[in-house]
Amino acid sequence: MRRLRAWFSRLGEMFGRRRRERELAAEMESHLQLHIEDNLRAGMTAQAARREALLKFGGLEQIKESYRERRGLPLLEGWLRDFHFTSRVLRKNPGFTCIVVFTLALGIGANTAIFSVLESQLWRPLPFPDPERLVDVHVVLRKNPRQWDVITSSIYRAWAEQNHTFSSLGAYNFPSPRNLTAEGRSERVQVMQLTSSTFKTLDVPLERGRIFLPEEETTGRDHVAILSHALWRTRFASDTNITGKPITIDGELYFVVGIAPPRLRFEYLPEPAIFVPLALDPAAKVMRGIYMIGRLGPGVSVEGARTELDDILQRQPQAEGGKQEDLAAVSNLRVTWTEYSERPLYFFAGAILLVLLIACVNNAGLLLARGLARQREFALRAALGASRSILIRQSLAESVLLSVAGGTAGTMLGIWGSGVFGGFWSEDTLPRQTETSLDGRVLLFVLGVSIFSALFMGILPALFSSRVDVNETLRKGARGLSAGRSQLQIRSLLVAVEVCLALVLLFGAGLFLSSFVREEQAPRGFDAPGAVTFRIALRGEKYAQPDQQIRYFRSLTDQIRSLPGVQEVTLGSSIPLDGSPLFDSVNVAGRPPRGKHGTGVIVYSVEPNFLQALHIHLLAGRALEPHDTRTAPRVALINRNAARTLFGSEDPVGKILEYVADKRRDVPAEAPVQIVGVTENTQEFGPSEVPFDVIYVPFSQKPDRGASIVVSSNLPRGALLGAIRDAAYSLDKDQPLFDVKTVDQLIGESLRGSQFDLILIGCLAAVALALVSVGIFGTVAYFVQQRTQEFGIRLALGATRGHVLRQAIGRAYTMGVVGLAFGVAVALALGRILGSALYLVPHEHSGMLYGVKIYDPASMTVACILLLAILFLAGFVPARRAMRVDPMVALRYE
Amino acid sequence: MGDKTGEKKDVWQGTLALMVLKTLQSMGSLHGYGIARRIEQTSGDLLLVNYGTLYPALLKLEQEGYISSEWGFSDNNRKAKYYKLTRAGRKQLNKEEREWEQTTAILARFLAPGEERS
Repeated sequence: MRRLRAWFSRLGEMFGRRRRERELAAEMESHLQLHIEDNLRAGMTAQAARREALLKFGGLEQIKESYRERRGLPLLEGWLRDFHFTSRVLRKNPGFTCIVVFTLALGIGANTAIFSVLESQLWRPLPFPDPERLVDVHVVLRKNPRQWDVITSSIYRAWAEQNHTFSSLGAYNFPSPRNLTAEGRSERVQVMQLTSSTFKTLDVPLERGRIFLPEEETTGRDHVAILSHALWRTRFASDTNITGKPITIDGELYFVVGIAPPRLRFEYLPEPAIFVPLALDPAAKVMRGIYMIGRLGPGVSVEGARTELDDILQRQPQAEGGKQEDLAAVSNLRVTWTEYSERPLYFFAGAILLVLLIACVNNAGLLLARGLARQREFALRAALGASRSILIRQSLAESVLLSVAGGTAGTMLGIWGSGVFGGFWSEDTLPRQTETSLDGRVLLFVLGVSIFSALFMGILPALFSSRVDVNETLRKGARGLSAGRSQLQIRSLLVAVEVCLALVLLFGAGLFLSSFVREEQAPRGFDAPGAVTFRIALRGEKYAQPDQQIRYFRSLTDQIRSLPGVQEVTLGSSIPLDGSPLFDSVNVAGRPPRGKHGTGVIVYSVEPNFLQALHIHLLAGRALEPHDTRTAPRVALINRNAARTLFGSEDPVGKILEYVADKRRDVPAEAPVQIVGVTENTQEFGPSEVPFDVIYVPFSQKPDRGASIVVSSNLPRGALLGAIRDAAYSLDKDQPLFDVKTVDQLIGESLRGSQFDLILIGCLAAVALALVSVGIFGTVAYFVQQRTQEFGIRLALGATRGHVLRQAIGRAYTMGVVGLAFGVAVALALGRILGSALYLVPHEHSGMLYGVKIYDPASMTVACILLLAILFLAGFVPARRAMRVDPMVALRYE
Repeated sequence: MGDKTGEKKDVWQGTLALMVLKTLQSMGSLHGYGIARRIEQTSGDLLLVNYGTLYPALLKLEQEGYISSEWGFSDNNRKAKYYKLTRAGRKQLNKEEREWEQTTAILARFLAPGEERS
């Protein structure tokens, strides 16, 4: 308490220094006079009295100094004085200051941006009360725990009824788009099925209304809905009397019972607009592939909960969903849903950190040079009694001040940059829909990074410039040749480090570039330049029958075809790259099945002109024809990949494929199909996929509620779409168009992730290159300047200009090349270590690099050549000055 | 002068504050010179007060709120800075006196039997 009080009064004493100094002097003076008066009273002569008093008093200045140390906060004042002084020095060198602050701002800004992305995506708790107790509950295969298996409703019931470790367990399905009709308008919205226990598990009370009643979670009585807050506000104008009112979802009537609170956001799921009950009662059809969420009871560990669930699972009889091959799994909810994007994010965070390191090394070199310029000043201070720690403090003040400026500018850059990251990355790489924000953690991070940069770039120069040999420096005058030599060694070392770091980045960028080029050039197998595509998903009882589906789509395509300017219209259950293919399993008739569930294939149900419209090549047999109608023999095409998988080198045409009945979903097998032709492979999701087996069947023989329609025309896009919408509306106003895009856009989107990766790492590499060239330029320029005199003498004694040039550049080049060699080693080692850890090379469709080896020789060569060129150029420019030295001028410097 | 100061002891570390507080308690308000003189006299001129220690100590006590200062005039009408105890200082003095007495009592007990035996 007393200490605090003292500290505060000392803080106050930092101000009004002049008045306090006057008072101190007056107090000392009065002390002396009082003493003299005393002595006079004791009978001394005036002179003796004064002399005795002065002797007794001792050194006035020493007393004052020890007094000053107690007054105010000398340490803080010292720092302030240093900062004040330094800021004046920095203002006088705007060029130097700008370079350092700018490069730091770049480095710190990029780090701030990536940090805020990491924070908002990976580390920020989910927006529910006590979110770290929330877990994802699922089952995995015993033989491969990374592979999830499906949860059935009976497992859910067993767990929910028998567990003692969870305070609550909920089940849900992924939101899926469905047609909402209310107040005469229809639109597609995300609808999520969930149990009311999910609301309890999340522990967020509803805004108004109630959650589902137990009896509403049974089949047939489950037509109740809870609206999301956003839907309620925008679509229903925050109608407070909404509960009890009817809405239509896919043609069926639901009654609104509640409104969700605005903060009910899952973040890792598509944002649902409507919640409806998930009926898991024993009477209901067995549901497979549901998701589960749980809240751990107090004091229960994840492992404890897992063990209990596993016991229940193993006790469960086979008939009721028990599966011997499965294990129960419980994992932190946030981690479960963000894990997959950890690797790419950490990879880029690493690359960005590298840029900051290069910037710091570079700045260390610049500070070192400045320290040399101030060596005489430092020597003088040392001579006047400044201790080494004071000199270090003063040098550090400079780097701290620069870092603070860089950090401030960097924060602003970072705010802007995190928006850019978020915007580019959105759906593909980033798992959560969160806002990056400038909160305390981010600011703390900026502070940390700034301090780190200050120390990292400042400590070496500070140690160096504080180690002054007072005698030598002061005697020698402005030029300190011997000090210059060791400084030069350090600077060359810094160049080597910079080159090494830059090579790692450059090599990485090269890998991404060659990966991107390969992705772009990878054969897509289809093409429809300028064509527009959109999807329609028929909902409602009206379209339950295949004939009704065929009739709707036939009339729609006929109407579009009759529009003036339309050249071609085709339709398929989906098209390549649109992300909504249907999967099925087939076996070759008369042969033993491959694997338990047959061969998984993507099935396209298409109109006969599909191949032609999308320019998919037919390799053998015939294409689908208009006469392959519903009543005609069932036929199919397969792609080259499927031909190889199923038949090897045999001719597949004429063979019969049988669908495998999907017992898991109670779907009976469809009639077998005869293969009539083979097509070229197409990309189904993107270039980095492992090729899929694909079959094409006539839409009329296997119709579906959902379809993608492709239209090529010479009309402007807006006009075409307007006409199409009118046609669709006149046919059935309840069936909205969605996913409206051009085929080129689909292709672009499939490359977008890699494109952004490339842009990002390319920018980082460019910054690194710029920094390295500044560093080399500075080092060589400094060396030349230090030796102007020496070069003059050499030239005067008959050295050739080429010789002098070689000498000027020699060391920087040697160190550069040494750095390069280290860089190659580091890059290869990092590639080896990180390659598999970061999935740099494709594994299971999720690799970041496509078709390149982690030690791609081309990228390495290009990176080395580029750096060598930069090294040469940046060194050559200042070194030329060494050749142009006029011996007379150089010698006159003396 | 040299040999004379050689016999005198500097004030022990940590006891100066107590002496200052005690002096101010008995003398009321007093200036720095007076405090130094008083301490030396009380010690029977065995102690020597170093001004380089005294003035910072006065400042510290003031910062801690145990004493306060104001400018006043001496008997000879000379302007001087006078220090006096605050209420907190009085309390602190009581506390420190007690502690000091305790310490000396303990030390005395240690020393006394030793003397008897020897």
